[in-house]
Amino acid sequence: MKKTIPLLIVILGGLIWVAWAFSPHYILQEVFYNQFYLPWAYASSPFAMLLGVLSLTMMHSNKIKTRGPKWQYSYFFFGSFIITCLAGFIGGIQKGSLFMWMFENVQMPMSATMFSLLAFYMASAAYKAFRARSPEATVLLVAAIVVMLAQVPLGVQISKHLPSISQWILDVPNLASKRGIMLGVGLGSVATSLKILLGIERSYLGGGD
Amino acid sequence: MNIFERMQKLDRRWIYIVVALAIIIPLMIPYDSDNVATPPTENLYQMIDSFAGREDRAILMSFYHDAATMPELFPMEVAILRHCFERNVKVFTLTWFPAGAPIIDYAINSVKEEFPDIQSGVDYCNFGYKPQAFAMVLGMGDNIANTMNTDAEGRKLENLPIMKGINNYSEMNLAIEFSGSSAGGMWITYARPKYGLNVAVGVTAVMAADMYPYLQSGQLIGMLSGLKGAAEYEKLVDIFAAYRDPKIDYSIKVDEDGNQILPGRPFGREILEDDSSKKLSLITTQTKAKFSMDEFAAFSAKYPENMALLNSLRSLEDDMVIIDVTQITPEQRSQMGETMYRELDRLTRNTLYKFKVARIGMNAQSVAHIMIIVFIVLGNIGYFIQKARQAKN
Amino acid sequence: MSFELFSNLVGAFFTLCIFSFLYKDNPFYQAAEQMLVGISLGYGLVYTYNRVFVPYVWQTIVIKHQFVLIIPAIMGILYLFRFSRKLGWLSRYPIAFSMMGVGMGVPMGIHASILVQMRQAMVPIESVNLFLIFIGTIAVLLYFFFSKAHSGAYGKFVNVGKWYMMIGFGASFGLTVMARISLLIGRIQFLVNDVFGILK
Repeated sequence: MKKTIPLLIVILGGLIWVAWAFSPHYILQEVFYNQFYLPWAYASSPFAMLLGVLSLTMMHSNKIKTRGPKWQYSYFFFGSFIITCLAGFIGGIQKGSLFMWMFENVQMPMSATMFSLLAFYMASAAYKAFRARSPEATVLLVAAIVVMLAQVPLGVQISKHLPSISQWILDVPNLASKRGIMLGVGLGSVATSLKILLGIERSYLGGGD
Repeated sequence: MNIFERMQKLDRRWIYIVVALAIIIPLMIPYDSDNVATPPTENLYQMIDSFAGREDRAILMSFYHDAATMPELFPMEVAILRHCFERNVKVFTLTWFPAGAPIIDYAINSVKEEFPDIQSGVDYCNFGYKPQAFAMVLGMGDNIANTMNTDAEGRKLENLPIMKGINNYSEMNLAIEFSGSSAGGMWITYARPKYGLNVAVGVTAVMAADMYPYLQSGQLIGMLSGLKGAAEYEKLVDIFAAYRDPKIDYSIKVDEDGNQILPGRPFGREILEDDSSKKLSLITTQTKAKFSMDEFAAFSAKYPENMALLNSLRSLEDDMVIIDVTQITPEQRSQMGETMYRELDRLTRNTLYKFKVARIGMNAQSVAHIMIIVFIVLGNIGYFIQKARQAKN
Repeated sequence: MSFELFSNLVGAFFTLCIFSFLYKDNPFYQAAEQMLVGISLGYGLVYTYNRVFVPYVWQTIVIKHQFVLIIPAIMGILYLFRFSRKLGWLSRYPIAFSMMGVGMGVPMGIHASILVQMRQAMVPIESVNLFLIFIGTIAVLLYFFFSKAHSGAYGKFVNVGKWYMMIGFGASFGLTVMARISLLIGRIQFLVNDVFGILK
């Protein structure tokens, strides 16, 4: 019973959506979509954010309670979270407020820097791990080197044919392999969506009764 | 331990130092280099340029990323905004991420500084953060003003001058999505089949290879891939959209036949392949405005009251008239007026730093790529030699 | 010191805190990491409240009196019961409501990722490149079809798919290198130009 009603919602609602994709009828396009689905989707969506807040709060407070590894740093999480929320709710979110200043000068640089660490790890991997152990790996490395050289202005100076060779690699073998993979992925995702639509796939409902 | 074993066991922190130096040094010493434009970039440029000066056409830029991917995507966004502001193309911007909203503000404010005539609600409109992307994407196919309702500043869309002539995707005919992942997916899957919207993407280079099937099938009309795509676009904007002809008076908007006079010039392959166009997209600072004799005569005819001042500033070099803007004193600048000074500054073909960030970055990219290739080769040499020695033993 | 320089210095300080991880894990990095998570979460919460909750829930129910929307609002609150062991089953309702959209994903997905791509793969083979693309697409598709053993002539043909994929992945790797380096270039440009003002 606890799983049946949500399952029925997905199956019936999903079938109405399939009809929506094909039919321009007023009841489907206006009544179902504009007057029912959209306002309901907007009204139910903001609460999903609270899920993330609760989850992280529970995890960090557990860590502090049980004195887990590096538990002291959880205070930094709570401190920054509370200050950001207070700054946002009390000070407002317009440009120039403390809230936006914290986001632009603390969060944005840190978030960008986290990603930029990947460049170092990749250079280290290039030196220590990328080995041409087999003919296939050699072909992969050669293709990578050609594309890498052709991307940069220096490539044109090394050989004026390099950009067109690289463009050929991207336009022909790369396209063929990505298209094959995309077709496979597309077929797989359509199959999964059909399974969800027909109620065969139920993992999204979670475990338990 | 012989040298090859030591090479294999090198502490990774030395590698990190080499990487850091390989990037810092080229960034501090700018030099001119050429980024060859590829067809996906040129197609996008030409499509946007075809909307130049039209009231019934607009583009939509979707900033579907956060600060982490800004180094690659932000220069693209700035270059496209500059193109649109130069060539009078209406621009709408939005984001589906809360973290994308400040990025839109950064991009627009940074480009707007150089275009004092550009106004919000007239030449561009920022929708800001909008939730429920799927509903918005489909709703805009019917009517943009009803779906979006208000812009980021809270103004009702139907009252804004920019919406004159723009109803839905038939007019806002190009959507460009900037993303580090799944760029353009929603537009290609939902908006394009239903409404015939043209879609283009600006992606990080990681995703670029995966987008080629969509390019070939026509589902994407163009693509900017990573920092290189941004550098290519910046170059095209410098050569075409930001180009100013000294003979034309751009303060007149309509000529005698009733045709619009738009700043810049349309895309032309012969101009792009001509060597002289390389001088239009230089990275190093340019301070000298160069004219041929005819061009100088036409330029000075536009400002007859400052003819004497121009003649005092000019010098001759290889049959070209040169005016060095660094030699203009503040008194001379106030005498000639801001309009003439700005036009002279334009004619030096100097690009501001913020409009050549990607090209400067590509120089560092050159060095970094060579470094990575050297690492791969060295690592493999050491590995194979060690393997051969072990096999011998 | 101007406010802009001060802001850039704050950004540079946190940038260097994260970079310090390259040398060794240290308290500055750990603290900065937790602050990043905290501020991101706070930002998301405040933004969602201002741009989604207030206009689409509060104003529509309280000011426009569309009381029927109390039902989806309550349904949204049911998300939180995910953490309860006894009442966890209530969280299935809002999930089911959002999963309804999969029904529309099926025809649209078939069109965009399968039919259009198939149509483009079936163009007249007028040039060598188109022939190579045709062979490659089929070989790659067959490579993942494991119900038939990859042996004999069939196995050799399917092997061609493997070579195509190696070249494709090599191209992706080359572009990934460019992407990762670009991210680092962006950060170094920020440090070199905006903070130390060496180049403008």
